[in-house]
Amino acid sequence: MKGTGFSPYIMRSKSRGASASEGTRIRTNGQSQFGLIKFARFFASLTLALAPLAVPAQSPLADSPNRSVFHGAAVEYLFPEQVTVPAGRPTPVALHFRIAPGFHINSHTPKEDFLIPTSFSIPGTAGVALKDAAYPDGTDFTLPLDPSTKLSVYTGEFAIQARIVAQRGNHLIEASLHYQACDKNACMPPKTITVPIDVIGN
Amino acid sequence: MKRNTLVLSIVLLLLAAFAWAGWANWEYRKQAAEKRLASAAKAELVAGGAGTGDFPHFVSPLMSHPAPDFTLEDLSGKKVSLASYRGKAVLINFWATWCGPCKIETPWLVDLRNQYASKGFEILGVSLDDLDTDDKKMLANEKRDIAKFAAQEHMQYPVLINGASIDKPYGGLDALPTSYFVDRTGKVVATQLGLTSKDDIEGNIRKALGAGM
Repeated sequence: MKGTGFSPYIMRSKSRGASASEGTRIRTNGQSQFGLIKFARFFASLTLALAPLAVPAQSPLADSPNRSVFHGAAVEYLFPEQVTVPAGRPTPVALHFRIAPGFHINSHTPKEDFLIPTSFSIPGTAGVALKDAAYPDGTDFTLPLDPSTKLSVYTGEFAIQARIVAQRGNHLIEASLHYQACDKNACMPPKTITVPIDVIGN
Repeated sequence: MKRNTLVLSIVLLLLAAFAWAGWANWEYRKQAAEKRLASAAKAELVAGGAGTGDFPHFVSPLMSHPAPDFTLEDLSGKKVSLASYRGKAVLINFWATWCGPCKIETPWLVDLRNQYASKGFEILGVSLDDLDTDDKKMLANEKRDIAKFAAQEHMQYPVLINGASIDKPYGGLDALPTSYFVDRTGKVVATQLGLTSKDDIEGNIRKALGAGM
């Protein structure tokens, strides 16, 4: 993480160093630019010296250990970012999601009333309406300490087939996926992630 | 003239670089201070490896510190405060109806409570189910669901609602079940995150009861 934050800046610094070399070439052409060259060299060195100061600001999560999945979203929206559909006509769109390894979320039809189903929605005012959505079947899953209880869950990647109706025009919608994720020992609170899609109705 | 312009530009660039470095440094210090503040109360999940699903070892800054006091309503609307249990060993168990692992450990808790109640042990089951406090009908339904779950799981100990209102002093409660074991003096002596085992829970209850059991 630190390395990634650092390199681009160094690259910029190197390019400033290259300017100094250009300055050297100018001097060999007979132009008296000693002061300027010294200044440019000094500036390049100073920029390099200042680079470490910039690193923390560029990578504020540098010291964040590799354990943040509990604090973030267990589900990530993959694609599509943009769809073109005939205006006013219900059109199926497959929305792809990925669940973090080791986690599962309830399917759209969990086997117990208390469990929170995965559901997709589109806000009513977006110029795009959700006609209906077809969810994949869940796979059976049992917790190691309770092998008698079968859960219906999604793991890995899954896709929801949403039928949408778009008005004519370009609509950048922020749809939502509501889910509740667990691993084999613990559960995270229910969460809603944004599903941004650029819907073009033509 | 041309040279002067160049020098002036470079000086300006230099000043800009200084200003930028100062700003970057200030931002970094600000972020670091915010992180320190947040981590002061935040429990940590020390993994196992991200994404492996391995059970993380739970490290709480509340260990060996007084358990933050709270007053919450039980399912009948009666106010219950942690302070009123001073002198008893208390297991504060954060759970929710949607939490499968919580459902697995609840029968263990019921058994252990029956076993150790006479020694001065109590469980406070704090529900983290969402409550729509602005919508009376929804709120009534949500309370009914919690009560239904509690009855189904034979939770005879106090079941408190609106646990989300005390999540900050208890480390954010990013995952359930989460348990804090509080000794007779009100100090946290053990914590657990996620499903462990009945034996682990019992060990921690005995630790909370201490020599007086």
